[in-house]
Amino acid sequence: MYHFDWSVFWHYVWPLTAFQDPLIRNGLVVTVVVSIIAQTLGTLFGLFAALGKMSKVRVIRWLAEGYIWYFRGTPLLVQMMLLYFGLGVTHIFDFNDINIGFLTIAGPLQAGTLALAINEGAYMSEIIRAGIESIDSGQMEAAKSLGMKYSLTMQRIILPQAAKVIIPPLGNEFNNMMKTTSLMLIISASELFFAFSQANARLFKPFELFIAASLYYLMLTTIWSFIQSRIEERLGERKGDDKNAGMLKRFFSGAPDSSWGGH
Amino acid sequence: MEQPDIIVKAENVNKYFGSLHVLKNINFEVRKNEVVVILGPSGSGKSTLLRCINHLEKINSGHIYVNGHMIGYTERDGKLIEDHEANIARQRAEIGMVFQRFNLFPHLTALENIIEAPVHVRGLPVEQARFEGERLLERVGLANKRDQYPRQLSGGQQQRVAIARALAMKPGLMLFDEPTSALDPEMIGEVLDVMKELAHEMTMIVVSHEMGFTRAAAHRVVFMDEGQIIEQGTPEAFFTNPKEERSRLFLSQILH
Repeated sequence: MYHFDWSVFWHYVWPLTAFQDPLIRNGLVVTVVVSIIAQTLGTLFGLFAALGKMSKVRVIRWLAEGYIWYFRGTPLLVQMMLLYFGLGVTHIFDFNDINIGFLTIAGPLQAGTLALAINEGAYMSEIIRAGIESIDSGQMEAAKSLGMKYSLTMQRIILPQAAKVIIPPLGNEFNNMMKTTSLMLIISASELFFAFSQANARLFKPFELFIAASLYYLMLTTIWSFIQSRIEERLGERKGDDKNAGMLKRFFSGAPDSSWGGH
Repeated sequence: MEQPDIIVKAENVNKYFGSLHVLKNINFEVRKNEVVVILGPSGSGKSTLLRCINHLEKINSGHIYVNGHMIGYTERDGKLIEDHEANIARQRAEIGMVFQRFNLFPHLTALENIIEAPVHVRGLPVEQARFEGERLLERVGLANKRDQYPRQLSGGQQQRVAIARALAMKPGLMLFDEPTSALDPEMIGEVLDVMKELAHEMTMIVVSHEMGFTRAAAHRVVFMDEGQIIEQGTPEAFFTNPKEERSRLFLSQILH
């Protein structure tokens, strides 16, 4: 019978003791910060890809479709390895460490964040496109008839309305993103999961340590679920729904959908 | 163009939806301050013609001039080439349009709907746009609805805001695409009253079956069927003594 090492478990579950290991402390910060940056960039890439896919110019449409096709059709792990090691070995682009004052942003972290963002952009583009297409075509016509150009119409009329449709799935994407950052382990970017793996390499307590790791992820996704519920309530998206039921359901069902490999 | 008081001129306009020939060699003129009502059975091409005048629909051949300038296209070696977006937008800013389904911007209040284009297209200072917008709301009888969102307004109120929104750009020409056909009967009057007021001072092209408005305000009726202009004349002449068989048939159907 396996002897569960409670002392290791509690040491790594309880933040005050776990954070004595700077890898874990920094890893938690890195996971959150990288998630936010990658999701923000990914949403931006997704917006451009969505607009590109709806463009009248054929070449732009092809570029957008090619981007979406490749990044949704290949594993994120492969994309990450290709970006970091592939580009490095060919010297097309080396991800060197960047020093900003006392802060050092390691090459793998840059590559990992960029890979996450580019991959996310391909998924976000479909969400954003669906949001834009959900807006009645009369809105575009009314704006045109007032002398508004396409870009102005998008900014002022279409996107503010589409945001209401886009924000709930965007929240789910961010939930996924926080878990998917763990894939950066493969290129040794020191995020949360990397930190726990390093601890395991020292102590060889995979059962205790990876349960502890999962509790940290669960904490992040649960906090986010609450924030997301608040945002959606404020958007008034829950028509006719019992608000609290929605929030509790989300809480106890844990993180919605999917794990490894993102989507 | 020779005559300066011609606001809209369509020459041999043809349009197809796929293989369907929806506008057949249309020739059509509207003079300054003229109020023209286009009538016709559904599918006759009347809305399509209206939408071609501000280039919401493309045409396949012919020319449409608004204020003396061809709209939507430039011509090179006898071929129509679609104009730059900026040029089309600049011309559209001078043409107001009111839609059947109002198409107000739901995320903006009544006043915000009205000042959107003056501020962001014309570059008017917000304060001035608000001042003018409030005058327009008074004019359509909705000064007290300034800060309401479209969903808080009745259909008739929404359409009046939509008219004010179009007027805010100070257009030389107003297009109305069946402005009352999505309204409950009790709200039609309030919209037509606003339109009748406007008819004293504006060039208007109206696609509508409202006989009351046509008799009271129209200078000319244009009857269309199957993509062609069948007959034109004063409302009086058209309603009492239509020349064409198809006009008579249509009138008997809508008048019962």
